[in-house]
Amino acid sequence: MRLVGQSVKRVEDDRLLRGTGRYVADVNPPGVLHAVFVRSTFAHARIVSIDAAAAGRSPGVVRIYTGAEINAMSYPMLPMLMLPDLYTPLVKALSDDKVRMVGDPVAVVLANSRAEAEDAAELVEVEYDPLDAVPDIATGLRSDSAQLWEKADGNVLYDHADTFGEVDAVFASADRVITERFSSHRQSNQPIETRGTVIEVDPVTGHLTVHGATQTSHMLRWGIAAYAGKRRIRESLKSLATKKERRAAFLTAAKKFTTDNADALKQSDNAGAAHQIKRDKSTLLHMNRMGLELLGQEDFPTVVAQDIGGGFGAKGAVAREDIALATAAIDLGRSVKWIEDRIENLTDGGHAREEDIEISIAVDDDGTMRGMKVDLVIDHGAYPAWPIGASLASAIMKVMFPGAYRFEAFSMRSRLVATNKGKYVAYRGPWANETWARERIIDVVARELRMSPAEIRLKNMYGPEDMPAAMLTGPTLDETMSTRATLERAIELIDRDELASLKADAEANGRRLGLGLACYHEAAPGPPNYNDAISPGSGALSNETARTVVESDGSIIAYTSQMPHGQSHETTYAQVVADEMGVGIDDVKLVWGNTDKTPFSALGTGGSRGGPLGGGAIKYASREVRRLVAEKAASMLEASVDDIEIVDGNIHVAGVPSRGLTYGEVAGAVATLDGEAFSHNQDYRGKGDGGWSCATHVCMVDIDLETGTVQIPRYFVVEDCGPIINPAIVDGQVRGGVAQGIGAVLYESAVFDTEANPQTTTYMDYLMPSATEIPEIEVHHLETLSPGGENDFRGVGEGGMIGAPAAITNAIEHALAPLGAKVTDQYLPPTKILELAGIIDPDRSSGSS
Amino acid sequence: MSEPTVITMLINGAPATIEVEPRTSLADLIREELGLTGTHLGCEHGVCGACTILVDGEPVRSCLMLGVQADGKNITTIEGLADPISGEMHPIQKGMHEAHGFQCSFCAPGFLMSAVALLEDNPNPTRDQIREELGGNVCRCTGYKTILDGVEAAVSIKSGDNTSSTNLAAEVDR
Amino acid sequence: MKAPPFEYHRPSSLDEALGLLAELDEAKILAGGQSLLPLMSLRLGRPEHVVDIGDLGILDSLVVEPDGSVRVGALVTHRQVETSAEVAAHAPLLHAAAPMIGHRPIRTRGTVCGSIAHADPAAEMPAVALACNAAITAVSSRAAREIAAADFFEGYLQTVIEPDEIVTRVQFGPWPRHRRGAVVEQSRRSGDYAIIGLACWLDIEDNTITDAALSFFGVSDTPIRVAEAEDVLRGQAPTQSTFSAAGRTAAGVLRPTSDIHASANYRRHLAAVLTERGLAKATAESGETR
Repeated sequence: MRLVGQSVKRVEDDRLLRGTGRYVADVNPPGVLHAVFVRSTFAHARIVSIDAAAAGRSPGVVRIYTGAEINAMSYPMLPMLMLPDLYTPLVKALSDDKVRMVGDPVAVVLANSRAEAEDAAELVEVEYDPLDAVPDIATGLRSDSAQLWEKADGNVLYDHADTFGEVDAVFASADRVITERFSSHRQSNQPIETRGTVIEVDPVTGHLTVHGATQTSHMLRWGIAAYAGKRRIRESLKSLATKKERRAAFLTAAKKFTTDNADALKQSDNAGAAHQIKRDKSTLLHMNRMGLELLGQEDFPTVVAQDIGGGFGAKGAVAREDIALATAAIDLGRSVKWIEDRIENLTDGGHAREEDIEISIAVDDDGTMRGMKVDLVIDHGAYPAWPIGASLASAIMKVMFPGAYRFEAFSMRSRLVATNKGKYVAYRGPWANETWARERIIDVVARELRMSPAEIRLKNMYGPEDMPAAMLTGPTLDETMSTRATLERAIELIDRDELASLKADAEANGRRLGLGLACYHEAAPGPPNYNDAISPGSGALSNETARTVVESDGSIIAYTSQMPHGQSHETTYAQVVADEMGVGIDDVKLVWGNTDKTPFSALGTGGSRGGPLGGGAIKYASREVRRLVAEKAASMLEASVDDIEIVDGNIHVAGVPSRGLTYGEVAGAVATLDGEAFSHNQDYRGKGDGGWSCATHVCMVDIDLETGTVQIPRYFVVEDCGPIINPAIVDGQVRGGVAQGIGAVLYESAVFDTEANPQTTTYMDYLMPSATEIPEIEVHHLETLSPGGENDFRGVGEGGMIGAPAAITNAIEHALAPLGAKVTDQYLPPTKILELAGIIDPDRSSGSS
Repeated sequence: MSEPTVITMLINGAPATIEVEPRTSLADLIREELGLTGTHLGCEHGVCGACTILVDGEPVRSCLMLGVQADGKNITTIEGLADPISGEMHPIQKGMHEAHGFQCSFCAPGFLMSAVALLEDNPNPTRDQIREELGGNVCRCTGYKTILDGVEAAVSIKSGDNTSSTNLAAEVDR
Repeated sequence: MKAPPFEYHRPSSLDEALGLLAELDEAKILAGGQSLLPLMSLRLGRPEHVVDIGDLGILDSLVVEPDGSVRVGALVTHRQVETSAEVAAHAPLLHAAAPMIGHRPIRTRGTVCGSIAHADPAAEMPAVALACNAAITAVSSRAAREIAAADFFEGYLQTVIEPDEIVTRVQFGPWPRHRRGAVVEQSRRSGDYAIIGLACWLDIEDNTITDAALSFFGVSDTPIRVAEAEDVLRGQAPTQSTFSAAGRTAAGVLRPTSDIHASANYRRHLAAVLTERGLAKATAESGETR
């Protein structure tokens, strides 16, 4: 029986349910020192002085490094995504001259225990000279606001406009233009495991082993290699000149990269780099130094990660803390460990989605939506996330904003504004607010035209008869862009009679019922020209490599560059490999997270890429190995390779299973030096066109008009990610995403006061929804196959979070519209609900909602 | 006495005598001194529930109890759930496996221990009782449905009725 | 997030404990620890000495006195109160409030007396004590005294308890036969501290309210009774319109503040809503208060 398509029970459960998993906090190399960062208590200030003398005498302290000391031994982190008109500040591991947020790290204490390090950190005396703070977008856009980054244009790091189609003409000729301004609040990824890194130093060789909670093991390896522990330029040059092998290996790898990605690289333009270098000339200098550093290094760190307690994008970034820790470890020659605490995590472990969006729709009276204009401003926080953050979110939003609808013209202005707050990171569906703002205003348009939300969507959406087509912003569409089919199915699943009776009952009891829907498609992974639309040349990063091996004893091992942290790769990939190799699920072992063993990937796990790309790589690697095994078996059995079948591990000639061989027998017949009888490395960057995942979310809300409490009696998702590897795992991904969306709208908000002091630094204040807050989310599946056939899996990790805020806020507006409510904020706590319903007035000087 | 104190306790059925600094939380004592890292720390201020263990059979936040307060207590952690001889999983572990209960599983130790305490008091809880009782544990991955399913599956397994465990088949609408 | 160092004391008798408190500076009493330990973990609380009263068996009794009053010793947990049929029968407000406190693991360790002594204005137990005007016994090496709940709370996390005193018990007076009570609250999530809550009771004889208590939490720096609204109730029939009038009065009298979880106007509005709901709930359920 094929395993792909079955809800196979999780392979990883045995370890995780017995409590014998190994997360980064469980790693304790001998003699490890515990690190605690001294962090700014000011949102914006100059550092006048740091006195660590008293702290240094505190019991158990081994060493305290100030920012200046760490920065003298490390390089600033350089921008990776350079877009035209984007300036990305270079970021030092620790701040040494000025702090830009509460929580900004200025020194690191290393002590024999975590408690002792915390004791000492309290004794480090930092004198600050406070500056005015920039607490929000509005202040940041003012020309007189205190400037965070001196090389920026005020506090605007990016101001860029794109136009697709004849926007002015379309807006001039449309029957009406409907404009609304939406505002989304600051949210946080909040994996239950915080960030953490253990840098293990081999006492003899000095080799670094980095135990990380990372979504991207290879990027962490390269980041640490590039930035931590500065070598003298001369040493690097010397090493490069004398070590021929090292140079040759590097050049071979570089050549392979440029050859493999020739098309993508040809696309890339230099406008982004030129703009960056114009703003900050030291970028070029540091890039050259970093290149030399990498070329001159003989011993790159090994990154090892086993179990990771969730990430949702927050662990895709390489942290400034990582660079500081590695630098300290190299300098001291001792292992160091940092486990972020929850206050740190809520302050700077990753924030996202604080965005103001003005959106206009040009629409004809018959409901034809013809044009869209968007003005997006992202609250970037103080420091750019590395390697990607707010700039990538804005670039993807630009591509995806038109959604599944046939617009004639679209334009968008994007700005990033620096504020004295935590950094903006990718958070599950980082571009999700394009769906929120678009689906929100479509409801506004529908109401104004007296159409139903479903009717106006169906009228304007691409359908299968339109395919192939292309989004106005570039990416090609094919039948896998099945958003309309998901909407049609969703409409069937709504029980109108039940709804009417519930509505009547609610209204008789001081409550209001509302129904909201939201439709989207996402690139999972999308067609090749999707990457070009985001940033020409970025497709070069999308490759995934897998390696399947049959060892001499016949055991089957698959190596992936993916970095599982909850997605159940161990199970789904074993399903794929087992089907290809004709063995059972327990016959396959997956290896991940060890950069000495696993193939390179620039991105790791994120972007809904695990199923289609990582899964595709492992599938084709396994298929090739099966072919090699079959060839060998054919010669052993004196048969044609085409007649070889492998069933339940029995490799035999079709029809004669009784005379079969085992993998062990076939592998044993191959002479090897390295114990690998058969192996194959497979690069994979998708099957070509298609690759869209689509969904319609439907949310029913029941609002208590006395208390403002919002209940969700029904929530369902109709999703289409093509053929499914493991339905239970897909459902879990969808539900988890929706739960985060519900949290975002009703419970979670990362609040700062007017001086940019964080107000939500514990779980008493940042409200994570629990089982009592989250309804049981129904998931329904469509399985549209793409015209190209093979390896048709599409990613499903982000979608739940993309659709949910729109569906929920649309439902709330639907419920409260008869009371005159218009929902323009994404965060709708009970106070806001009663204000929208006109039941209470906003406080005169309220910062509460 | 900020000096270490010697305490004695039963941990997963085995007696342990150990020296502990007064300020060390029971969670840190279990993880760092006893090496039982199956208990996880998510927030260290009593909200997330990941560190929930059983003390004398009752669920407590091990981050909100000092190690010294465990003197003379009987402690059970996730490592103590499976049968110590055969290694056979506890029904709650089997139930969660059956129901695809968790994803990243960092929160799992707390959920498992809370669920064990619930089933001890109430072997046949309603769905709402399960939801209420597990409301003190936060999971960021699952949206909770499968965790509730897992408790129900454990109830079935306990009563020897494996067939009525939750229906996990995907509904494919074609 | 590790607690700062402190001297740990575990006295084996009440006298020893009182002696320690008399002689030590900056000492904190540790019972359940569900309020103290998170504060220490966050390094917001840094006592030099912690006196663990966990071994003082004399403090762990939960007793119904012959007159029907309920005596709750310093080590009695919320969970004990929640699961006690005796408490349900004789101190229904206390029983009704217990399950609203945090979640079960918190209630397993957290104590009623500890919650009252900690005096978080958004917590249930201080408001219940105030509603019932419970008698709080504080003992020091100098003397023992009994303090009426009405005189106990002084400000945010502040009470009349002296540094050398231990709250050894709280006593809830006999629950009159004609008294009906309820605890209602509005919180952001199940188990959270309340945005606003109300512990209330009515004495009803011959369809007339003869006495009433409205004890709000989450709206001031202490739990607070609203005498003006209680006055509105007295002498009236227990009807929806009476309750609404009391609610309007309460909303007009209270001066709550805004925070990140709710606005002042929201809390004021909810004061009226919860008054109506709480009193309706109290009168709807005979004997049972939840």
